[in-house]
Amino acid sequence: MSRTWPDPTRVLVVEDDQATARLIQARLQMEGLQVFMASNGIEGLELLNREAIDLVTTDLMMPAMNGFRLVQEIRDLPPPKGRVPILLISSNQNEQDMVRCLAAGADDYMTKPISAQVLVERLWRMHQRSFSAG
Amino acid sequence: MHLPPALVLQFLIWGTVILGSLVIGLVVMGTGIQYRRDQQNQHRIARYQAWEKDLAVHLFGAEVSPRAFPSIPLADRGLFQKFLTRYHATLAGQEAESLRELYLDLGVSESLPKRLKSRHATVRAQAAQEVGIFRLPEHLEAVVPLLNDSVPYVTHLAAQALTLSQNLRFARPVLDWVLREERYQRERILRVLEGFGPELLPWMEEHLEPAEVAPEGWILFALLAGSHRHPESSARLLTLIEMPNLEIQAAALKALAALADPLTYPRVQPLARHEAWLIRAQAAKALGLIGGPDAIPALIELTSDPVYEVRRNAAQGMADLGHAGTSALTWLAEDPSADRFARDIARERLEWADERGHQ
Repeated sequence: MSRTWPDPTRVLVVEDDQATARLIQARLQMEGLQVFMASNGIEGLELLNREAIDLVTTDLMMPAMNGFRLVQEIRDLPPPKGRVPILLISSNQNEQDMVRCLAAGADDYMTKPISAQVLVERLWRMHQRSFSAG
Repeated sequence: MHLPPALVLQFLIWGTVILGSLVIGLVVMGTGIQYRRDQQNQHRIARYQAWEKDLAVHLFGAEVSPRAFPSIPLADRGLFQKFLTRYHATLAGQEAESLRELYLDLGVSESLPKRLKSRHATVRAQAAQEVGIFRLPEHLEAVVPLLNDSVPYVTHLAAQALTLSQNLRFARPVLDWVLREERYQRERILRVLEGFGPELLPWMEEHLEPAEVAPEGWILFALLAGSHRHPESSARLLTLIEMPNLEIQAAALKALAALADPLTYPRVQPLARHEAWLIRAQAAKALGLIGGPDAIPALIELTSDPVYEVRRNAAQGMADLGHAGTSALTWLAEDPSADRFARDIARERLEWADERGHQ
């Protein structure tokens, strides 16, 4: 399926597993997206404050600041940064965690193992929704 | 005895020379070993970095037909095999299938029967892991004996390989392994059993011995039914909460709370008056989740329970119900005629909810 992302579209990938992060980065770059990498929530928040990020994908379990806390911190920011679409990725299939993250303000949730193709499709949908919502 | 000074001097000189040579020899050997390890690490890092790029191109380079992966030299095959296993928990779908094909192309799976019987635990563990994550059903039978391995992480990986197959033919040996393990390991083990998928639950209903004879299996059944949110298990769970075994009852209550089916509420509600506080505490957790606001009168009653855990769970259950629950707690906290225990726990939970920004 062909997708035409606006140029530039900046994605922040917050993931502590470097092997996974680099693979996601490679897939998103092939999509033509500009990728910013952070290995925990604190670094992610710093990057979000510094750059004009359009989409965020974050792992749930991370050192220093986990994904759940990161979502809360982002949602506490004033718009437009506070409204950036967030996709949470977790290795935990716990339904309560899922509900907790969505309630905290995450837009979507995926559990590992993931398909990078599905990840891109979800990001695309999220981006389309936020674009049409203005 | 008095030795001539010249001889003592000779002893000292030769002793020092020998000792010095030994120290130098050890330092040279240590440096050599360290150098070799550094070289291996550098080689590993360089290979991993190159393979990461190749893998991305291989998996995502062309959506219709993936690009061929560069051939792996014989000496690097073991390294590549470890490189591939890093992604097993991350990648799914077509990408996971591509990883499997890369693994099979290496030809290392042919040595699996030998490696599964290796005298080195790390080799056995790695072999069992490969069978599981690269889905090699022809080797599953050879994994079963590893459930009796003396090394815990080998048994764990063997169980994981068998559950990942989702083949219920292996459910019995895996369950037997689980029941042999220590109870404190149960949560970790539960995640392994989840690999079989929800189909394990009907299998357990059919094959487990009666709860009166072997309760342990039914405790696992209840815990799994809760973690799988398996509504078809409700009927069995309702019979388990009536068993004269506190652990089975507690586990079944926990599962029913996870299922949150309001139709089960009338059967769960009487447990709020159970003689064992462990069951009352679990019921206090479950009632709100199952009954919603209808559970408030039963929860109010539990806030005056003599056991703190029961009171706390009941008050927490009300706080989690949102506006209706916090209104009841506020009323309880301000009612001078209410039980002192109930008033105190209501105040405590309201403060707790307030600190966390709950309604």
